Amino acid sequence: MAQPTTVKIVGPAGTGIKSIGRLLSRILAKHRFFLHDYSEYPSLVRGGHNTYQVSFSPQENFAVFRTVDFLFSLQPGHWQEHQKEISPQGLIFSEETPPAGKLKKNFLFFPLSELARDLPPVVANTVSLGAIGFLLNLKKEICQNTLATTFPQAKKENLRAFQKGWEFAQQHWSEKRLPPFSQGKGEKEIVDGNEAFGWGFLKGKGDFYAAYPMTPSTGTLHFLAEKQKEAKIIVRHPEDEIAVANMAAGAAFAGARAAVGTSGGGLALMNETISFCGIAEIGVVFYLVQRVGPATGMPTWTAQGDLLFAVFSGHGEFPKVVIAPGDQKESFQFSWQALNLAAELQTPIIVVSDKFLAESSANFSLEKQQKEVKIKKGKIVINPREDFRRYSWQNKDGCSPRTLPGTKNGEFLANSYEHDQSGFSTENAFVAAKMAQKRMKKLKKALQITPKPQLFGRPKNLIVSWGSTKGSILAAIKNSSKWGFLQIKTLWPLHPEIGKILSQAQKIVLVENNQLGQLETLLKTHFSFSVKKRLLKFTGRPFFPEEIKNELEKI
Amino acid sequence: MNWKKFDTGKTPTWCPGCPNYLLWLALKQSLAELKLKREKIVIAYDIGCAGNMADFIKTYGVHTLHGRAIPVAMGVKYFRPELTVIVVGGDGGIYGEGLNHLVTAARANIDITVLVANNHLYSLTTGQASPTTPKGAASKSTPQGTDLNPLPAVAMVKKVNPQVLAETISPQQHLKEKIKKAIKFPGFALLDIDQTCVTFGKLLRK
Ligand SMILES: Cc1ncc(C[n+]2csc(CCOP(=O)(O)OP(=O)(O)O)c2C)c(N)n1
Ligand code: SF4
Ligand SMILES: [Mg+2]
Repeated sequence: MAQPTTVKIVGPAGTGIKSIGRLLSRILAKHRFFLHDYSEYPSLVRGGHNTYQVSFSPQENFAVFRTVDFLFSLQPGHWQEHQKEISPQGLIFSEETPPAGKLKKNFLFFPLSELARDLPPVVANTVSLGAIGFLLNLKKEICQNTLATTFPQAKKENLRAFQKGWEFAQQHWSEKRLPPFSQGKGEKEIVDGNEAFGWGFLKGKGDFYAAYPMTPSTGTLHFLAEKQKEAKIIVRHPEDEIAVANMAAGAAFAGARAAVGTSGGGLALMNETISFCGIAEIGVVFYLVQRVGPATGMPTWTAQGDLLFAVFSGHGEFPKVVIAPGDQKESFQFSWQALNLAAELQTPIIVVSDKFLAESSANFSLEKQQKEVKIKKGKIVINPREDFRRYSWQNKDGCSPRTLPGTKNGEFLANSYEHDQSGFSTENAFVAAKMAQKRMKKLKKALQITPKPQLFGRPKNLIVSWGSTKGSILAAIKNSSKWGFLQIKTLWPLHPEIGKILSQAQKIVLVENNQLGQLETLLKTHFSFSVKKRLLKFTGRPFFPEEIKNELEKI
Repeated sequence: MNWKKFDTGKTPTWCPGCPNYLLWLALKQSLAELKLKREKIVIAYDIGCAGNMADFIKTYGVHTLHGRAIPVAMGVKYFRPELTVIVVGGDGGIYGEGLNHLVTAARANIDITVLVANNHLYSLTTGQASPTTPKGAASKSTPQGTDLNPLPAVAMVKKVNPQVLAETISPQQHLKEKIKKAIKFPGFALLDIDQTCVTFGKLLRK
């Protein structure tokens, strides 16, 4: 089966590459292609180099590919750093004389500024979209409709710009036009991981979201802030991440289904509160969207360097759950499921995503996804007896029934100090140990209700990974009879099934976007296995299917 | 209404003569006189001697982290505006560790009442300089005298938002009336209760 087609648009920051890219993804989805996109941008508002790329196919497609078929340089020279990504028959479009050397045959002169001369500058990029539409043999009407609904203010100008690009391509490059595609079955809408998390929060009846802006988690804050009125939820941007976490804890104590969003630096500031939620048994969802650390690191680039940090976050010993979505659909699912887990387990739930997943788009059907949503509220007592004990240890799963403020006879103290069954502080040896044990029982319950590891294909030769690497791995092993893939969806607690699957494997290859192979370290706390090869990438860039495939072929 | 219904049956652990006894009594009496129901009140306590009141008042309560009582209280209030939400904390927690939260609560003019037992010291940790320790005063952490200017918390809060209620009051006089007024105030209220820690306060007088 042929590799999906990949289009890449590159140029300086501030020229609207992201918005034109997003539009192209939307158009491709409307054609029902299976698509994945990805964009790179520096942590600057103006200047620097931006890229957007999308891989699409009428057949099922799991990932964005590195090899580019159509590269559009919106300003001369910007294509240069992508020379190695061009496929042998790939085309480069730029407004400059073709370079000497072997790329000459791939090069096409695209007089963008001339074509855009009598157009308002804001719609100049749309000219390229017109050319792309023609070259990809897209349906003109779908392109035009999507364009018009996306930019209702500058509709006319955009349509004119689109037409110019289309016509130019038709006149000059009709022999380069792709043959018509067959009809795909991809979902017609797209979301990125952050929006998917936001939708999951809304459909999961989340009602309190707090976040302090921090790339790459900010998309969810913007998404939910925009929707707060209509959805009747509370969205706050407090003074710092410490306030974010504590405010969410207060809201959750008062009955909210609460979540916070941040990246590694913010989670560092929230650590004490994670621990507090552990001891006071307050269920809060922490949405951690990783970027490259340490410290400020590379804010707009991707990494999986905070796995162990998330798993071991918060001082002291207390139960917590760490789950990691592997794609946009799971970003939706794990969002509402995390709210349920927080309500049922009354403890911190960390959902770990990363820049690559959070800011990349793929097909999505809200209608379809929301049908699967189930709401679990956990144990809530409405008519407590006078002797109600909030932290009763008379239960097998460690989850004591709770009351919400307003409930008569349910008054209790949620305490950051160790406490007895009523919540009063204690330093009694027996009570302290008993309470610590009661809380830790939740891990057992968590094993029953958290996402199970998923095995794709056969386990003999096994790739083991977690989070956003899923798509590239699945694409790399598509049609392979040799390789299987084990996706660890719950990173804490670790499901015993993982050990069983690992023990059946002959060769294990570990794939992670970090330097230390943190998943391997984590798994080895529970299971014994040996790794044949480690594919570790910590350049701020995600894995592409080609890289994984190449490495597998060497084994 | 009998204020004793706000007792938990726990005996306070404060030193004999500690001004927190007065605050404790006045707060319970205020809640009773305002005819508030136990279950409709949430008190967020900071960490410290004053925050230890958490065990001694029967309402819904959160004994939060050091410095973090205000954002917890704000989270409760944002989500459940119908509840009466009160913060009890010390000068170390409210004016030091969590100062940004105090400023933000004042900016928001959110309808919570913050009671600060301002004994000009970190008392629970046995007497170090706090943000309101007078300049030059010796403490265990500043035996040569603190070289920092004290924080004018009330003036600062008022400057941040003139619409809020903020005042320094004595721990003896009209405490109950002031607390009642602060709880009834339809916006952010800060009562800065000027205390002397009977155990470590003498350090400051050196
Ligand atoms: C994060 C953190 N840092 C330090 C402490 C230790 N600590 C406990 S109480 C306290 C100071 C309390 O001073 P204040 O708020 O004025 O209360 P007081 O005891 O004087 O009533 C400190 C520093 C802590 N509990 N948590
Ligand atoms: S140390 Fe000071 S503030 Fe603390 S209980 Fe004793 S007298 Fe009160
Ligand atoms: Mg003090």
